[in-house]
Amino acid sequence: MLKPKVISQVLQQATTGGVKATLLLNSEGSPLVFVSEAGDRDARVYAAIASNVWSTFEKNTKPLTKEDPTIGSGVGSGNGGGINNALKFLLVECEEGNLAITTVTNMLLCLVARTDVALGILKAKTDALARHLEEPFQRVSTYTQSSS
Amino acid sequence: MKKKVLLMGKSGSGKTSMRSIIFSNYIARDTRRLGATIDVEHSHVRFLGNLVLNLWDCGGQEAFMENYFAAQRDHIFRNVEVLIYVFDVESREIERDMHYYQDCLEAILANSKDAKIFCLIHKMDLVQEEVRANIFNERYNELKTRSEPLKISAFATSIWDETLYKAWSSIVYSLIPNVRLLETHLQNFATICEADEVVLFERTTFLVISHSTRIEHPDIHRFSKISNYIKQFKLSCSKSQAQFKSMEIRQANFAAFFDILTANTYVMVIMSDPTVESAATQMNITVARKHFEKLETSHMTR
Repeated sequence: MLKPKVISQVLQQATTGGVKATLLLNSEGSPLVFVSEAGDRDARVYAAIASNVWSTFEKNTKPLTKEDPTIGSGVGSGNGGGINNALKFLLVECEEGNLAITTVTNMLLCLVARTDVALGILKAKTDALARHLEEPFQRVSTYTQSSS
Repeated sequence: MKKKVLLMGKSGSGKTSMRSIIFSNYIARDTRRLGATIDVEHSHVRFLGNLVLNLWDCGGQEAFMENYFAAQRDHIFRNVEVLIYVFDVESREIERDMHYYQDCLEAILANSKDAKIFCLIHKMDLVQEEVRANIFNERYNELKTRSEPLKISAFATSIWDETLYKAWSSIVYSLIPNVRLLETHLQNFATICEADEVVLFERTTFLVISHSTRIEHPDIHRFSKISNYIKQFKLSCSKSQAQFKSMEIRQANFAAFFDILTANTYVMVIMSDPTVESAATQMNITVARKHFEKLETSHMTR
């Protein structure tokens, strides 16, 4: 089970140094927990866009990997390659900010940063946060997948 | 595990009506269609895990009553776990009612002396609201003295409000093995997902099985009211060929979630913290499902 307030504290720690919002979404794109400098409304918009972008990319890369695992998925910035070609990370540079999305077990982690935050540090931050959440979430996801 | 539940009382006191409302999805108005019960009607109600209530609805006409105490005495009063005796509050023959009641207790004492006894003072809606408590206490005290040496519990009930659910919830609660264990697990669940209150309902009857409250609420009748409302809602759902599965009610200062927990239970989670997202609570319910499923199969069976 998840303690929403504790997760919110962890996400709070990442929402510094130019990061405007940090969100944790379920696989359907509904926000589980989010921390945002701007209002709730903005965070919900981010959530909707991020999950949409992610699922679109994922949908378009999946058939390739399923039929023939040797064909590389040129789409997205997948850093896996080889055995598992599933989409792992998305970095999007936009006019008003930069966006990083990654998965933590079956959930999505999404960071929204100002344009002056370099993509490298944004990616490093997202990765670090994902690593931190990976192990505890693993346990939760084994339950959600088998019972629903 | 089968538990024999005897439902007795004078003819027309409302035994079959309350049974139909609680266990067969009748609404209060529908009970007008019910006729007198002839002899004994048996029904089996599956509850939590493999707990089955074996309900004996005993017709209350005098001829039948005499028969129960004489020819069928052993058959009726053997292995009884619960006796529910229904009194009509408006009855004009109180002495006669009491006479039958005492005969009944005598038979119980002889055949199944460990049975739990519940008295329902029924049709309370016919009494003026101000004097209800007084009348009930008066009757309760009389029943207590008349029931010596057996211990009884009594409830004032009416099919037109939530009191019926309250009484039946207490009856059912007394029948569930390991209910304490269930309570501790609910408590943990409430603490982890930071809920104000978590209530466990039986799935078909929507009777309250157990609850865990972290923040007190002034209305003590709220559970029975909710049972009543949800049951009505379920009925209207089935009228439009839809099946009720889950529900979320969200307002500025609270959110309520109703969802299936196990094969036999529904859970209600009340959250007053607006910063906790719906999806997070829903996920917590999903995650808890497996745990409670396991708990129910391993501990609710004996």
